[in-house]
Amino acid sequence: MLPDPRGADRPDIQIKIGGQAGFGIKAAGQSLARCFVNGGLHTFDLTEYPSLIRGGHNVYQVRVSPTPIHSHVEPVDILVALNQESLDLHLGEVVEGGALVYDPKSVTIDGVDTSHVCAVAVPFDEIVATAGGVPIMRNVAALGAVLGLSRYPLSFLTDSLKQQFAKKAPEIAEQNVAVASAGYEYGANAKCSFPFRLDPLPDPPHRILVDGNEAIGMGALAAGLGMYCAYPMTPASSLLSFMAAHDREFGVVVKHTEDEIAAMNMVVGAAFGGARAMCATAGGGFALMVEAFGLAGVSESAVVVGLFTRPGPATGMPTYTEQSDLRFALHAAQGEFPRVVLAPGDTTQAFELTWQAFNLADRLQTPVIILGDTYLQDNRRSTEPFDLGAVTVDRGKLIAEGDTASRLEALGDDDLYLRYKVTDDGVSWRALPGVKGACQVVNSYEHDEYGYGAQGESAAVRLAQNEKRGRKLDLARSLVPPPVLFGAPPDKAALSVLCFGTVKQPLMQAVEWLARDGVRVAAMQVVTLWPFPTEDVATFLGTSKRTIVVEGNMTGQLEGLIRQECLLGVDEHVHRYDGRQFSPEDLYRGLKEVADRA
Amino acid sequence: MPEAKEFVTPNRPTWCPGCGNYAMFTALRKAYERLDLDFEHLAGVWGIGCHGNGADFTRCQGFHALHGRALPAATGLALSNPELTVVVEMGDGDGYGIGMGHFAHSCRRNIDLTVVAHNNQIYGLTTGQASPTTEHLMKTVSTPTGVLEEPVNTVGLAIAEGATFVARGFSGDIEHLTDLVVQAVQHKGFALVDVFQPCVTWNKLNTTQWFRDRVYKLEEAGYDPSDKVKAFELTLTTYHEMTCTPEDCRIPIGVLYREEGRPTYQDGLPQLTAPLWKQAKGPRDISALIERA
Repeated sequence: MLPDPRGADRPDIQIKIGGQAGFGIKAAGQSLARCFVNGGLHTFDLTEYPSLIRGGHNVYQVRVSPTPIHSHVEPVDILVALNQESLDLHLGEVVEGGALVYDPKSVTIDGVDTSHVCAVAVPFDEIVATAGGVPIMRNVAALGAVLGLSRYPLSFLTDSLKQQFAKKAPEIAEQNVAVASAGYEYGANAKCSFPFRLDPLPDPPHRILVDGNEAIGMGALAAGLGMYCAYPMTPASSLLSFMAAHDREFGVVVKHTEDEIAAMNMVVGAAFGGARAMCATAGGGFALMVEAFGLAGVSESAVVVGLFTRPGPATGMPTYTEQSDLRFALHAAQGEFPRVVLAPGDTTQAFELTWQAFNLADRLQTPVIILGDTYLQDNRRSTEPFDLGAVTVDRGKLIAEGDTASRLEALGDDDLYLRYKVTDDGVSWRALPGVKGACQVVNSYEHDEYGYGAQGESAAVRLAQNEKRGRKLDLARSLVPPPVLFGAPPDKAALSVLCFGTVKQPLMQAVEWLARDGVRVAAMQVVTLWPFPTEDVATFLGTSKRTIVVEGNMTGQLEGLIRQECLLGVDEHVHRYDGRQFSPEDLYRGLKEVADRA
Repeated sequence: MPEAKEFVTPNRPTWCPGCGNYAMFTALRKAYERLDLDFEHLAGVWGIGCHGNGADFTRCQGFHALHGRALPAATGLALSNPELTVVVEMGDGDGYGIGMGHFAHSCRRNIDLTVVAHNNQIYGLTTGQASPTTEHLMKTVSTPTGVLEEPVNTVGLAIAEGATFVARGFSGDIEHLTDLVVQAVQHKGFALVDVFQPCVTWNKLNTTQWFRDRVYKLEEAGYDPSDKVKAFELTLTTYHEMTCTPEDCRIPIGVLYREEGRPTYQDGLPQLTAPLWKQAKGPRDISALIERA
C-alpha cells in the first residue's frame, strides 16, 4: 500500500459501513455523521450503492475530522461489516492499525488475514435480542461500537435516538439506547489497540449536514421558488422528495409530473404566470426536456433547470457519478439562444448558485442550468450554515401588477405593450398575465415584438429578434459568477490545474497535501461554464508554468471548451470515467508526478 | 367587459376559406363575452397545428406552446396563478397524438381548466397526413393504402381517465358550441369540448355536410349526462365506419358526461391562495429549515 498522503499525525478517520440493501445502511451512516457534527467535527459522506459485484450490497462512508476536510479519501480506518460481502470486498481498504467491527454469527473471519486490523467481534443479534428490539437495531449496536472504539461520547448517539423516538414510541427509544450502550461497551473494551481518538469540541459551533440536493432545494426556496416540477430520476429524485416535504410549509407548488417533457413544459408555463419555477433531472430526463428547453429560450422564459449527471448514455449507471453532460448542457435544443450554465463544486456553492440562478434567469429572461452530478447531489458534507443574509431577489424587468401604461419603455410607438420589444441589452419588459394592458403572445414560434408568430417569418423580424436574444449573452457575461481560484498563484506554482464541478472537492484536498509537501499548485474551478469566462481562463493559462485539466469524462469536454474559447491548449489532462469520483489520493499522486517531471 | 368582437388582434385569420376553425373562433369569442372575461385574465394556450394560428388572432394572455405540449404548459400557468381562466386549444394530432400522455394525465388530474379540441381528423398544417382520429382505412398521404389503426375514442378516453366534464361540439352549429364552451369554462375541474371541425382541404370524407346529416343533440334526446357508465357506453357507439349511412351512424353532440363536486387538482393545494409570483417579492425566510439541517 502506498503511503497515506494524509501523513502520520493526521487527525481524521474514515468509517465505512457495509451491508445488504434494506439494512438501513444509509440511515445508519447519516446518524453517525450527525453525532460527529453535533460535536463540532467536520464530516464528508460518500454513499455507494448497489454493489460493485452483485446487487443488494450498499456501503456508506463517513470521513470525520476536527479540521476542515474537502472530500472522501481512499483508506478506511474502521470497517463495519454487517455481512460477509462487506468484509470480503473492503477489508483490504482498511489501514494498518485500523479496526473491523463484525458479528461472528453473520460474518466469519476464519481463513481471512486480519492481522493488520483490530478485529472487534460484537454480537449484534444477541444485543438486540437482549434489549427486546428488532433486527434493524443491529445498526445502532454497530454505531455504538464505532463510537466506543474511537472513545467518542456515547451521549451524542443516545441523545439523538431519544429525540428521534421520544414522541412516537418511548419504549423504542429505550431499546435503542440499550442497544447503543451495549455496542459501545464492546468497542470501548476491545482487547486490541485502536490508536485513533475522536473528541467533541467543548463548545461546538452550529454546522449543517446536507447533500447537494438539499442545498439546491434550500437555495431555490430562499430565492422565492413558486413551482417545482420533476419526474423521479437518480440522482435528482431526492430533490423532488425534499421539495414535496416542504411545499405547504413554504407555499410552493410541487408537481410530480407524468414525464420530464411535462415537467419542463409546466415550468415554462408557470414562468409565464410569473412564478419562480424550476425542474431538475439527470441526463436522460434532460434529453426529454430538450425541446421545451428551446421553448424557454425562444419564449424568453425565466426558468432554472437542474441537470445532474450520472454516467450515460441512456440509462447508464444510475447511482454513480460522471461529468459527461457538459457539452450536452451547452448545446441542448434546436436553434441558437443564450443560456447560462453554472456548475457548483460543493454544497455551499450549490446553495449560492441556485438562488443566483433565479436572479440570472429573471434578469436575462432565459433558461439557466445548474450542472451537478451524483457526487454532489447524493453526498452529505458538514458546512457552515448557508448565508441567508446574502440572498437577494432580483426579478429584472418584471411588471407584476398594475398597468403596462405606467411603464413607457415597455410600450411601442402605438402605445401598446410589446412583450418582445427590441432593446439594447436584449431584455424586454415582462408583464405578467393579469396586468392591465398586457395583451401578448408568448410564443414558441419566431415572433415580432408583440409576440405574433405571423410576422415572425419576415427576414427583418427574424434578424431583430434573434439578435435581440443573442445580445442577452453579453449582459450575462457581466452578471455571472467568475471562476474560483485556490492554491498558489499560478505564476508562483509549479503546476496549474483547471476543473469544473465537484472535482473541486478532491482537488482541494490534494492541493492542500501537495502544499504541505512543498509542491505549489494553482487551481481554477470554472464555475460558469457558459458564457465561458474566456479572459479569466486565458489569463490563468498565460501566467501558468505548466497546465493540466482534470475532469470526470472520457473525451475532455472542458479541455475542448477551453481550446475553443481561448484558442489555447493545455499541457496535460487527466480523465476519470468509470463512474467514480477522483479520490484526492489519485490527484495527489498524479499531480505530484507531473510536477516532478516538470 | 369586452364584447365577442373585441377578443381579436390586428391579425386577420389565415385559415382556408370554409375551415371549421372560423366557426370555432367565433363560438369561443361569443363564449368569452357571455362569461364576462377580460383580456388580462383570459389565458389562451395553443398547441401547434392550424388551430394554433388562433394564438395570433385572439386578444388575451396568449401562450403558443409546443406541438402536443399545450396541456402541461397550461397546467403550469393555471397553477402559477389561480386568478386566471385558462382555455387550451389543441388539435387532434397535437393533443391526441404526440400529446396523448399529457391529455390522459390531465383528465385524471382533474385540473381546473378547459380544453377545446379542434378535431378535424387529419393533419392540416403538415399537408394531409393521417391523424390519431382519422377513420380506419381512410387513405391519406401518409397512409396511401388506408389507416390501419382505429381512431382514438377521444371522449371515451377522457371519461375513462377521470375528466369531469366531457362534451362534443360541431363547428357547424356555432350557438350550440358556444353554449358548450360556456358550460365547460364554468365547470370546476377538467373540461373537454371535443369539436368536429371539418378540414375542407385535406379531409374529403368528414365534411360539414357529412356531419350535418349525422349529428343529433343529446339535450334534445332526453339524455342524462350524470351517469358515467352510460356516458362511456355512448362514446363506444359514436365510432363510425367510412361507409356508414346517415341512418346507420348517428353522432351525438352536447354534454356526454358531467360530474359536479369532485375536488379539482387545485383544491388539493391549500398553499395556492394567490399568484405564485407573490412568493418571490423578496428572499424567503428559511432559517427554520437551516436550523434543523
